[in-house]
Amino acid sequence: MEKNQIYNRHNRTLEIIPGALSWGVIFLLILFAYFKPVACALIVIVFDFYWIIRTGYLTTLLIMAYHKLARQKDNDWLAACQSLGITGGLERLFHLIIFPVYKEGPDILRASLDALKNSHYPKERMIVVVAYEERYKYSRENALILEKEFKGDFFAYLSTFHPDGLAGETRTKGANATWGAKAAKQFLDNKGINYENVVISCFDADTCVDKEYFGCLAYHFLTSPKPHQSSYQPMPVYNNNIWYAPSFARLVEISASFCQMIESMRLEKFVTFSSHSMSFKTLVEIGYWPTDMVSDDSMVYWKAFLFFKGDYRVIPLYITVSMDAAYSRNLFKTLVVQYKQKRRWAWGVENFPFVVSRFLKDDQIPLLLKIRRTFNLLESHVTWALWAVIIVVAASLPILLGGAFFARVTAIGYNLPKVTGLLFNCTLMTSIIWILLSRTILPPRPKEVKWVKNLVMASEWVLVPFIVLILGSTPALDAQTRLMLAKYMEFNPTEKTKKVV
Amino acid sequence: MLSEQRIRGILFYLSLCIFCAGLPFILSFALGYKFNRRTFHFTKTGLIDLKTQPPGASIYLDGRLLEEKTPTTISELLPGEYNLRLELKMHYPWAGLVKVEEGQVTRLDKIILFLERQDIKQLNKAQFSSLWVDETAGHIYYFSLQDSSVYTSGLEGDNFEKVADFVRIQPPPLKCILSEDRQKLLYFNAHQIAIVGMHPEKYEFLKDTSFILGVPDKIIINVFWYSDNYHIIVVTSKDIEAWEAKPEAQPVQLLRLSKKSTFAHYDPKTDTLYFTDLQKAPDGNFYDNLYKLQLNNKLYPFSEFINLKPAFDFDKVRMRLNGKESDLQ
Repeated sequence: MEKNQIYNRHNRTLEIIPGALSWGVIFLLILFAYFKPVACALIVIVFDFYWIIRTGYLTTLLIMAYHKLARQKDNDWLAACQSLGITGGLERLFHLIIFPVYKEGPDILRASLDALKNSHYPKERMIVVVAYEERYKYSRENALILEKEFKGDFFAYLSTFHPDGLAGETRTKGANATWGAKAAKQFLDNKGINYENVVISCFDADTCVDKEYFGCLAYHFLTSPKPHQSSYQPMPVYNNNIWYAPSFARLVEISASFCQMIESMRLEKFVTFSSHSMSFKTLVEIGYWPTDMVSDDSMVYWKAFLFFKGDYRVIPLYITVSMDAAYSRNLFKTLVVQYKQKRRWAWGVENFPFVVSRFLKDDQIPLLLKIRRTFNLLESHVTWALWAVIIVVAASLPILLGGAFFARVTAIGYNLPKVTGLLFNCTLMTSIIWILLSRTILPPRPKEVKWVKNLVMASEWVLVPFIVLILGSTPALDAQTRLMLAKYMEFNPTEKTKKVV
Repeated sequence: MLSEQRIRGILFYLSLCIFCAGLPFILSFALGYKFNRRTFHFTKTGLIDLKTQPPGASIYLDGRLLEEKTPTTISELLPGEYNLRLELKMHYPWAGLVKVEEGQVTRLDKIILFLERQDIKQLNKAQFSSLWVDETAGHIYYFSLQDSSVYTSGLEGDNFEKVADFVRIQPPPLKCILSEDRQKLLYFNAHQIAIVGMHPEKYEFLKDTSFILGVPDKIIINVFWYSDNYHIIVVTSKDIEAWEAKPEAQPVQLLRLSKKSTFAHYDPKTDTLYFTDLQKAPDGNFYDNLYKLQLNNKLYPFSEFINLKPAFDFDKVRMRLNGKESDLQ
């Protein structure tokens, strides 16, 4: 009991650290702005300069990732797998695809299942599990509709219904996905299929895979030196309804895709996100997805990382999976939807106490690796919560709080707005590259969308400063504050809208 | 061929180098330091922030013409004094000695360069001795002693016209004062007060308001219109009096004064007279004091609303002030 209390106290301390750090920096900046405005101004300038260098560096990585994506776009991955020969193992391989679903109806799922059906991969090697939540009253009705349409198209098509309120669970996507995976395990056992030959892909309900996706995944799985000690991360794009989404929702989603592409180039930090794939054998060994945490997608990576004592990696797949951009009926509601979605992503900060508390107990993972991963985890979340605050707000703090002498008489008080303004504009200049790249990942314009939309989409990047202010840091700061105050979040599914109503 | 991760590594260290190399320059610029490429030293400088109205002036710093025009900031200036001259075509130049201190901004942001040829326009169309500008009503009054006339015009000199004739007094008047309703003009010298009706042709009742009141045995210091535009308050070397502005009027003495040259100011809005007078103190010496004499008529509280200003009740005022009068003696 005492041991458990100590553990809980340690865990609470770790939960407090990211939020305390972020808020601490903000309060320190305010205090410095009042008592030491010159020091505050210097901190802001150093951070702004660091940010422009970082943005330049990351944009270069984005170009490299994009180049790779474009280069592999027309690959015939299935042929590549077949070229590996009988020893390659393609014939033995099964793809298990799980769609954890809550309120998403057949209209959303139909497109995702159609994408599977149309993929360039033998369907008889695919097992599809649509994992419904039993607490949603239309689940069984929806399941029947889709079963009727897709039952005969794959090696197997299963519908599972996750009961509500199971012990040790919260209402999260991970709990539903785990229920579905366990049902699939039973199915595989009945069929006598070896888990080692099964690659599981956990997709959001709206995920439409590229037709080469399973070929690409199979190729990387079969050629990886440690296929069971790897996750496979495709590039998420939000193209399903991108032409219909309001400007700023589109911008945010494109930026999210780009961030994921950038991350794919930083392998030592790369963590699974949203729709991803991995060895089913590994999934069973690590005890499936967490059933009481919101960020199941990244947490499953950390569970595997800990299980394999740090010898686990995410292999980027330069192929896209397309999802819905999150938006709603009007601009304000869209803003709310986007905010909630970003906050849910930022809730990934719950990984920090989970990972660090296990690092502290583990003595087999190399210490340097533990330090590096801890630092990466903490730095990424704290930077997320602070960057927009420092760039947009902190620059004006010394001027507002530092007194008339600082603002009117000192050279640094005079130069501060000019220098920070220039650096901020330089950062925005990278938007030009992002605009050009965003055009290339867009799907063809639907016939009913007028060509003027092209101009709108090019000019909407002027909204970047506004978006930075609203959706840049605040969701992350919100999530960290909740974790700090032990106000734990539950999974809040993003509203899916196919077209503007 | 370099692997992606190696390229990334090179990019990372390149970015780190750019950051480390660029940061000192950015910080030194922000703090006002100048890098001397010959000595490889940073020197702390100051700057001048220049704004002119109108903008676009040429800048001469210690006689050297700079490329920039106002508004601009002259940065990286070594501490010291600089001769600054701003020139703009058709405008008077601005010149001054500007002190620059290290790490500080000298702000010159309120410089106005005035036009060389101002937009001058003659407003009067006849000779005059003095004038009074009534901004509220948008009139200018010209008083001409030469032809004993009062003229008026708009603020642009428009509608210039004669509105009244003076009654000549000798010696010439010290001061001219218009009544609040702009219908009567009084002017005075040491012993005479003349009152003239303005626009007599327009107002029948003003026909008789052209007369002189004599004050032979004392010196008139100041005269004010009472707010009813019918009475006048006269401050003399001996007393303060109230007069009806009519021919052969008799004064009502409000106060006797001990000082011959008192200062007096009158507020027509509240009918308050401020004046100075000598008063004997308990130590036996006389000291100048400032007094406030309230002359407003409170008998008719609604008079202001219905715009009727009844004649001053001098008897009541005299009775009210009797006590104070004795105090002042």
